[in-house]
Amino acid sequence: MRFHPLLLGSFFIALGLVYYALTLSFPAMPGQRFGPELFPRIMATGIVLCGALIAWKGRRQPGPWLERSPALRGRALVSFLLLPAAVGLYLWAADVVGFLPVAAFVVAALAWWFGERLWRAALLGVLGAMLVQWFFGQLMRVPLPRGVFMQWVEALF
Amino acid sequence: MEVFLKALALVADPQVMLVMVLSAIFGLFVGAIPGLTATMATALLVPVTFFMPPVPALAAIVTATAMAIFAGDIPGAMLRMPGTPASAAYADESYQMARRGQLTLNLGVNLVFSVAGGLVGVAFLILAAPHLAEAALNFSSFEYFWLALLGLSSATLIATGDRTKAFLSMLIGLGLGCVGIDPMAGHPRFTYGQVDLMAGISMIPTMIGAFALSELLRTSAETSAPLAPIGEKIGQLFRGVGEVARKYWVNFLRGSLLGTAIGALPGAGADIAAWMAYATARRFSREPEKFGTGHVEGVTESTAANNAALGGAWIPALVFGIPGDSITAIVIGVLYMKGMNPGPSVFLQNPQFIDAVFIVFVLANLMMLPFGYLAIRGAQQLLRVPRGMLIPMILLFCTVGSFAMTNSAYGIVLMLIFGLVGWWFEDHGIPVAPLILGLVLGELLEQSFMSSLIKADGSLLPFFSRPIAGVLGVITLTVWGVVLLGGLRNLLQTERAATP
Repeated sequence: MRFHPLLLGSFFIALGLVYYALTLSFPAMPGQRFGPELFPRIMATGIVLCGALIAWKGRRQPGPWLERSPALRGRALVSFLLLPAAVGLYLWAADVVGFLPVAAFVVAALAWWFGERLWRAALLGVLGAMLVQWFFGQLMRVPLPRGVFMQWVEALF
Repeated sequence: MEVFLKALALVADPQVMLVMVLSAIFGLFVGAIPGLTATMATALLVPVTFFMPPVPALAAIVTATAMAIFAGDIPGAMLRMPGTPASAAYADESYQMARRGQLTLNLGVNLVFSVAGGLVGVAFLILAAPHLAEAALNFSSFEYFWLALLGLSSATLIATGDRTKAFLSMLIGLGLGCVGIDPMAGHPRFTYGQVDLMAGISMIPTMIGAFALSELLRTSAETSAPLAPIGEKIGQLFRGVGEVARKYWVNFLRGSLLGTAIGALPGAGADIAAWMAYATARRFSREPEKFGTGHVEGVTESTAANNAALGGAWIPALVFGIPGDSITAIVIGVLYMKGMNPGPSVFLQNPQFIDAVFIVFVLANLMMLPFGYLAIRGAQQLLRVPRGMLIPMILLFCTVGSFAMTNSAYGIVLMLIFGLVGWWFEDHGIPVAPLILGLVLGELLEQSFMSSLIKADGSLLPFFSRPIAGVLGVITLTVWGVVLLGGLRNLLQTERAATP
């Protein structure tokens, strides 16, 4: 989603103003002239000025207000959206289901979408998830979510 | 001498050696594959090094980045696609050399001159850093304020492209750095009751998102046609390099020195060093018309410059805590995590760690010879690794790595947000490196600014009264003045041209 410079600049002007407004609730530092609001307000002013400059410099540029980035069409758009969707799926499911199955599925699905044959994608998914589980989970002792899957595995063995 | 021996003992540990070998392989792999950058390699390494003691952690990063910056030359020559942005300046020249049947010579020159350039950068690091640290012992909040401001300013003003957008990116980074507990009054800002936000925007997941995930998003949208490297068999790698060295030793020296200096400048790293060295080589060459046809002169100067810049970037990072490039921005985060807050105090309290870093740098550059040799031999197979396998695995590493930093979904959410923000920024020509720089330096800048203001009782005059602070202040304001005047003149010119 590409913004016209005028819209882009306006967006940052609005962002700066909101940021400034959020500092209005900060209390003063007792006994001092300046408090926790000073530095953020300087930044907010700078952001507004930069936004204004971007909008001013680009105001005569031809083109629509909003356009889709030329690279993101058709299959490329789906490829692009799949990555944050995969992370979203992981966030939603990993805690409940468990790290291994969710990671394996995500890796396998993405690999297949990006051109691997189904069996190679599945193999990559399983081996990749197991490698990461070993490296981060066992070696680095990162508490990766166990979920229902590990409970089920433990009940089985 | 005692400190040096302690440092040597720290580095001679088999764990450190193993970590260096594995990081070398990792760095060569990431550097050689177009689309994966050295900064991305560093960001991905951080969750791994989180669990290591300081010396192996820093050794991993130093080795991986040194290898990655060299390895980027390989696909540049074989595919005309630089493996990392640092090799972009001479990728075309290298490719033209390869097309003329000089692939082996090009890769040999790239390898040897990278190693030598890297060693020059390290030499300056070893010589300059301790002396600068001694000078920095006398620094007060005023000096640190001007230094941080000068560092941030030069980073945005040296940036290629739209300076306004670079400056905007930096301000947003500084603004994000205000999230959390205020360093002076202890008041929570922009936290809205969220415990995670009280600790601030976690730096490492943000960097993983901004540098690694945003790059993945860009790559995912490209076609998945397999890469087809030049098929010439690689012969005797070092034959002919001696003659090139004899003929172009001035280029090598100039490139290494320029590279070190640019690396030491905050915000300007290996890629800018390489571009400037290539331009300098052409400017001072006796055969400038040969540039672009497959002439080795430009390659010698730039390939030395980008590796030298790596060592140079550590100078301000170690001494002042101000990153010399985006890689050292990440390193500073790692140093803070290890309790080795960068600055003159680390030279006083833990000099053996500093010496260990120096030793690791020298070793990493020397290791580049055998490892780089093997990488070149294996490159034609390496470059055929399908994107379909790389993208999902890197995404998984990014996700789990971000999780490991905060042990909660907060890290993953940050990575996702800044991955998308980073991609959106770059799509609009807004560079993302200044944002990260702002995030890294924000606390130092605000703390030094506010404490100086409180000490000066609200007046701005004491900001210039100390000699070093005064000099730094004048330099900073001059730089700002020159840039603002130049920008104003450009703006007026464009307005005058646009109005009929």
